[in-house]
Amino acid sequence: MATTCTPSVGLAQTVGKGCGENAYKCYQCKKCTTGCPVAGYAGMHPAQIMRAVQLGQLDMVFDDRFIWLCTGCETCTTRCPQGIDIAAIMDELKIIARRDDRIPANTPSAAMLKLNYDSFVRWGRMWEVELITLDVLKRPMSAKSWLSLGPKMMLKGKINPTLKRGDTVAMKRMVATAESITRTRQNAYGAAAANAAKAKDVPAAKAKPAPKNGGAS
Amino acid sequence: MSKTLAYYPGCSLHGTSGEFDASFKATARALGLTLQEIPGWECCGNTAAHSINRLLAAALPVNELAKVEQDMKLDAVAVPCAACYSRFKTGAHEVADDAQTASDVRAVVGRAYNGGVTVQNLIDVYHDAVGLDELAAKVTRPFAGLKIACYYGCLLTRPPKVTLADDPEYPTHMDAVVKALGCTPVDWNYKTDCCGAALALTEQHIVDDLVGRILTDAKACGAEAVSVACPLCQVNLDGRQSEMMRGKSDWQPIPVVFLSQLVGRALGLGDKELGLKKHLIDITAVMA
Repeated sequence: MATTCTPSVGLAQTVGKGCGENAYKCYQCKKCTTGCPVAGYAGMHPAQIMRAVQLGQLDMVFDDRFIWLCTGCETCTTRCPQGIDIAAIMDELKIIARRDDRIPANTPSAAMLKLNYDSFVRWGRMWEVELITLDVLKRPMSAKSWLSLGPKMMLKGKINPTLKRGDTVAMKRMVATAESITRTRQNAYGAAAANAAKAKDVPAAKAKPAPKNGGAS
Repeated sequence: MSKTLAYYPGCSLHGTSGEFDASFKATARALGLTLQEIPGWECCGNTAAHSINRLLAAALPVNELAKVEQDMKLDAVAVPCAACYSRFKTGAHEVADDAQTASDVRAVVGRAYNGGVTVQNLIDVYHDAVGLDELAAKVTRPFAGLKIACYYGCLLTRPPKVTLADDPEYPTHMDAVVKALGCTPVDWNYKTDCCGAALALTEQHIVDDLVGRILTDAKACGAEAVSVACPLCQVNLDGRQSEMMRGKSDWQPIPVVFLSQLVGRALGLGDKELGLKKHLIDITAVMA
């Protein structure tokens, strides 16, 4: 359990800016958690993640494996009585974690998402064989899980080693434009948020001395 | 009457799920639908794009929709893969819903998409594009009441603001389709529960738990086979089952078939064009 605490007043705002969802609407009914297929497999569950986002508890959100286990099944989004698109918030947290280099160890799914992204950017289409091969090279232990299933799938002709490319030129152009627009928007918001935080921090620091949490980074 | 639909197969149907592609195309032919594959189609962005770059995730499917609308001049696209279908519906929803997203997507795609294309998943094609009456009229080899658990999984119905599904928690359109083929759809509890999706590549133990729960309920509710309309659901329910049998010798396997294979069998199509031998858990007995 993490004992350090790095509150950030901006987390819910950053999430809202990225995906348009208001995390403060959550009143902790935990319907999301009840329906979540992976709630029991990490330290946190969806309602706790929502609370931590409201309170700006970066470490609680980003040191846990939960967001990387989220399959995007949209059950939480479908059932939320407040109409919050919780799955979109989980996506946004993944985007922030990747951008701020806060992906914890032992989250192979995070690396897999990137392999997947790189694969379709490279070929215009996602190439399953390439994904599994590169993953095994990175995590040799993962080969164990393919020892039995891999050959069986191959024998059934379910593994197609060849790939017909998509329109790679168009793909590269779209990726470059999308990444550039996204960067411009993030920089604009980042600068505005930094200015707002500066303006807010001055009276706050006077009113209360900063907490001494030695281990916080 | 012949209808023409644009066709977006997606990466999985050209990869691990060739039999889904083959059986879907064979049934479309038999039902008088003409499929035109989108030329030079690209990946819809799948699960990766929306957790890495939100704008690209919206733009990739909208680019395909713009091709269908403006280059192919068609008003509907068949997207049998549930994950691709979800990305198409979400992309179209986002550009229709938000002016800023629409203008960003337009910059990425290089042209505007005007919303003139209906996106149809596998169930929609049989249920709506063909229609239940016409489908039933073309059945030449009806099933003798084979009990089917219709498994919709996550993305065919969720989120309802995007899919506009009638009942996202207990959908029935696939049930109606299998009924038209002479099968008996069973009432069961895990119709729309998640199979674990891509976690099968990285967290197999979780997928084994989820798949075990889904299939145990299907069997307890009397199903003799599970019908799916998503390549990843099929790979997980079929493939993980074959792995579970190594660990648990008492696991009684249940066949997991594509809805398109059931339709094809009822239309009298051949085993080979439906790819009935491609599954790890044998399906030929229930499809005989």
